[in-house]
Amino acid sequence: MTIASTSTHNLASALDLFALTKPRVMSLVIFTAICGLLAAPGSIHPVIGFTAILAISLGAGASAALNQWYEHDIDAVMKRTAKRPLPAGRMDRETALHFGIGLSVFSVLLMGVAVNWLSAVVLAFAIFFYAVVYTIWLKRNTPQNIVIGGAAGAFPPLIGWAAVTGDITLMPILLFAIIFFWTPPHFWALALFVNSDYSKAGVPMMPVVAGRQSTRKQIFGYSLILAICAIAPFVLGMTGAVYGVSAIVLSLVFCLLSLRVGLSKTEDPAAMKAEKQLFSFSILYLFTLFGALIIDRMLIA
Amino acid sequence: MSEIDTSKTSMSREEQKAYQARQKHRAAILAGLLFFLVVLFYLITFVKINASIS
Repeated sequence: MTIASTSTHNLASALDLFALTKPRVMSLVIFTAICGLLAAPGSIHPVIGFTAILAISLGAGASAALNQWYEHDIDAVMKRTAKRPLPAGRMDRETALHFGIGLSVFSVLLMGVAVNWLSAVVLAFAIFFYAVVYTIWLKRNTPQNIVIGGAAGAFPPLIGWAAVTGDITLMPILLFAIIFFWTPPHFWALALFVNSDYSKAGVPMMPVVAGRQSTRKQIFGYSLILAICAIAPFVLGMTGAVYGVSAIVLSLVFCLLSLRVGLSKTEDPAAMKAEKQLFSFSILYLFTLFGALIIDRMLIA
Repeated sequence: MSEIDTSKTSMSREEQKAYQARQKHRAAILAGLLFFLVVLFYLITFVKINASIS
């Protein structure tokens, strides 16, 4: 063993450390966390609310760093991820690991000390779930990786809610369920037209293992469950008409696009228009649905 | 641990310059972050004390 120093030559830049936190994914995390925070009954001091969102963002960034630390080999094979700091050789793995663990501990402590310990415990569990259960355990071993791993991305609104109320009731669980059941159609639609990349990396994504037709049917099935979860808060009288109408219209479009995917039989990724449309709409769906929830809450208030 | 890998520790003048510039950039960002955290913790303490009084 040598005392070397790749690290002296490979000192990670601040920009690369920031890239390690997957800023684009984080924007969705921040948005859904703010929605959970604003949708919760009761009030929170703006400074504490800001700290809660900051802690959730740092926790998400930490789990993304740990994810990239573990998946450097997969990332190097896939075109979409090959330019990330680790596979591109701009940072050593040790830096990513230390950065991820340090940020995890800091985010949980910040949440516990400044906000409350229930949200800190849920945040710690969310980081563990994404970094260990999804990244290390499920992703390389089962085609259900996205389904169960999707839970990790569903935690932010739940944590945002718990930061305000200090408890977890049916409404934040429904917000959790919306993101949980939204994840498989969203990622599988992407996996259908970048299938070759995932198979090259040896990741058992559903289209690789079960085939495209089976995946398409499952996308439609999950879309129906998603629609039920999205409309449930309105049916149960937890939200007003603004959210209710938005949820019904958006879910109807989502189901129709999923049905088109379900009926599609094309094997050529370039011709997968329905899949690409569903993937794009799924992002708009989540932002609009949660946005409608906030507008609804503001109008009721 | 045994020996020092000299092939990797030596840096050219340009590399050294780039390394120091990167180090300086990171230090400046870290200083900014620390200052931000000091202000944030001050505000959190202020809010918490106010809440416990009222």
